[in-house]
Amino acid sequence: MLKFIIPTIMLMPLTWLSKSNFIWINTTTHSLLISFTSLLLLNQFNDNSLNYSLMFFSDPLSAPLLMLTMWLLPLMLMASQSHLLKEPLARKKLYITMLVMLQVLLIMTFTAMELIMFYIMFEATLIPTLIIITRWGNQTERLNAGLYFLFYTLMGSLPLLVALTYLQNTVGSLNFLLLQYWAQPLSTSWSNTFMWLACMMAFLVKMPLYGLHLWLPKAHVEAPIAGSMVLAAVLLKLGGYGMLRITSILNPLTEHMAYPFLVLSLWGMIMTSSICLRQTDLKSLIAYSSISHMALIIAAVLIQTPWSYMGATALMIAHGLTSSMLFCLANSNYERIHSRTMILARGLQIFFPLMATWWLLACLTNLALPPTINLIGELLVIMSTFSWSNLTIILMGVNIVITALYSLYMLIMTQRGKHTHHINNLTPTFTREHALMALHIIPLLLLSLNPKIILGPLY
Amino acid sequence: MNPFISITLLTTLILSTTIVTISSHWLFAWIGLEMNMMAIIPIMMKKPNPRATEASAKYFLTQTTASSLLMLAIIINLMHSSQWTIMKLFDPTASILMTMALAIKLGLSPFHFWVPEVTQGIPLSTGLILLTWQKLAPISILYQISPSINLHLMITMSFLSILIGGWGGLNQTQLRKIMAYSSIAHMGWMTTILLYNPTLTLLNLLIYIVMTFTMFMLLIQNSTTTTLLLSQTWNTVPIMTTFTMLTLLSMGGLPPLTGFMPKWMIIQELTKNKTLILPTLMAITALLNLYFYMRLTYSTALTLFPSTNNMKMKWQFYPTKQMTLLPTAIVLSTMLLPLTPAFFILL
Repeated sequence: MLKFIIPTIMLMPLTWLSKSNFIWINTTTHSLLISFTSLLLLNQFNDNSLNYSLMFFSDPLSAPLLMLTMWLLPLMLMASQSHLLKEPLARKKLYITMLVMLQVLLIMTFTAMELIMFYIMFEATLIPTLIIITRWGNQTERLNAGLYFLFYTLMGSLPLLVALTYLQNTVGSLNFLLLQYWAQPLSTSWSNTFMWLACMMAFLVKMPLYGLHLWLPKAHVEAPIAGSMVLAAVLLKLGGYGMLRITSILNPLTEHMAYPFLVLSLWGMIMTSSICLRQTDLKSLIAYSSISHMALIIAAVLIQTPWSYMGATALMIAHGLTSSMLFCLANSNYERIHSRTMILARGLQIFFPLMATWWLLACLTNLALPPTINLIGELLVIMSTFSWSNLTIILMGVNIVITALYSLYMLIMTQRGKHTHHINNLTPTFTREHALMALHIIPLLLLSLNPKIILGPLY
Repeated sequence: MNPFISITLLTTLILSTTIVTISSHWLFAWIGLEMNMMAIIPIMMKKPNPRATEASAKYFLTQTTASSLLMLAIIINLMHSSQWTIMKLFDPTASILMTMALAIKLGLSPFHFWVPEVTQGIPLSTGLILLTWQKLAPISILYQISPSINLHLMITMSFLSILIGGWGGLNQTQLRKIMAYSSIAHMGWMTTILLYNPTLTLLNLLIYIVMTFTMFMLLIQNSTTTTLLLSQTWNTVPIMTTFTMLTLLSMGGLPPLTGFMPKWMIIQELTKNKTLILPTLMAITALLNLYFYMRLTYSTALTLFPSTNNMKMKWQFYPTKQMTLLPTAIVLSTMLLPLTPAFFILL
């Protein structure tokens, strides 16, 4: 695993020692090369994991997430070039350093073998993200957004620390490979209930679950583009990944404890999708759509069937790429009109036809069009929740319809229809932006040819 | 201050703490504590203004009360065990009295009222001595009597300290008062673990001293005593904003910085003893501390705090303050977490 961590750490000296006209080229190219090495992780054994050392391992669950993380860094760097153009060189380098530091911590989180190491890296990702949101965000609300983000996540995760130390003392080891075999079945008692809550709340806040989701619209909207991308694509999946790992030791208590959270996630899925229909702010719409998709993943993880785990994993990768692409598209709008209001720039298809293609593809994948992996994920989750309870099919059906509604609403509102009069002097699109969108959508479409690599360890 | 006097006072200060830590006779420990108080009062009056006079008077009164209680506890212990050796106390009354006396000396709740006001009235460097060096002597006595301390009293006082340290600092803009409330909260964390694993008290004390030293050195450099002044450090030494932010986040206990290490170890020790509610509540209450550190971070490093245009064009003087050990301290207070196993060998 050092073959990923050390090159990524070395991106930091690369940034600081590059000349001013080379920083973006150097960092983007080298991070792209590092992401190609992550393809080595595709050599997975389906019934076992690749153990690199005493501290790091790679598993069919963590490998796709790791590949997503490493693929996203060059994309984030490409997306940030425009809004950092006017900043002094030292601040550009500082921004890139924050992104690289976040990347290192994320790699270590996804490959951590010991749960306390996972916890420390999980918490450590908060600091660079906080700095990116509050230092480089654009509106005054970013301060509040940073505080909400930090404190919601910390309130959830401090009980997790206590629960993990308790587990260490009772089970003997928190090494994930051993924990699967040594964990005792949990009976339904008050103390086990609290331990279940302590273990899960951190990840439920991170996902986020519907009642605890207030930080997400604030953080996503106020963050700069790279911050939004990494938040939506990877940091939410940290919660999903953590839940998938920790539910394996919380049996059979999860069957009893999961009811309120399942209800919250199923209901929240519909509520947040409905709120999307009433949003005027483009980034806020995409943020609420993220909550809706992640609610599906929470429901899938909590019912713990093989198909639902496969659906959850596939949905995580699919949603990561899709929402990151949507944020990039929203950012391309924002950079031109400096406003996130959707109705200010309408009918863009006439002016930016190729960008309209990317908008169309992003909205289609967001509404889970066959044969994309979004559909595979959603379909597996819907089928498994149907097997859990027949009534969920109604809620899922309503959700699919509303998701289609707001995705098409977003598409039609920004691309189609009569253009507003004041946008005839917008800058044409850059090749960099087209490359960014293409690099998002091509893995998404290619994965629909071979989805088994993202279906996780239970395939 | 006349350099001879200064040297005498500082030497007495160092000598007094040394006497307390190495003595095995209760009388000498008490003498050391008295010398400590006597030596620091003139240091507090370095710049004679009414605030400093008030601070010195409050410090004097509280510390002498504490020393008298300590002497009473020593005598009661003598009455019950007929010996003056410093070891665990043999009578519950003596133990409770001594714990309360040392709590007054440290500034634990509910005897914390003197800490913010004394810290506010004295210059920054003296405040540094007050919040770091002055904690060594009482903690060393607490360490030695730890087997006989009443559990309920200690846990109540320390949890109350963590709460007060968190809530009290929320309404402050004066940095010395913020550091005082941070000291109260950290003392709370330290004394919680005293009865379970005193080594961790020393570990927490060491890390706390390093972080507080770093913080004070960063403040001394620009003579910043208010949040407003701290928000103008971007103008004079921009890199200090980054270091201030990292040190403040470390004091808040965020991984992967050093400040997480004592909290993690304390939570681990408390869970080993099957007290699970206490570390959860302590950890969550520490978030209150983090809130006002975050407020300082925001105004210092992450935003451009509103200020008049005159303030944005400060004279760039040559640095005259002596920054002893600042780079070392900064590195120690932010990057020590991977060395956690090493501390158990050292301590």
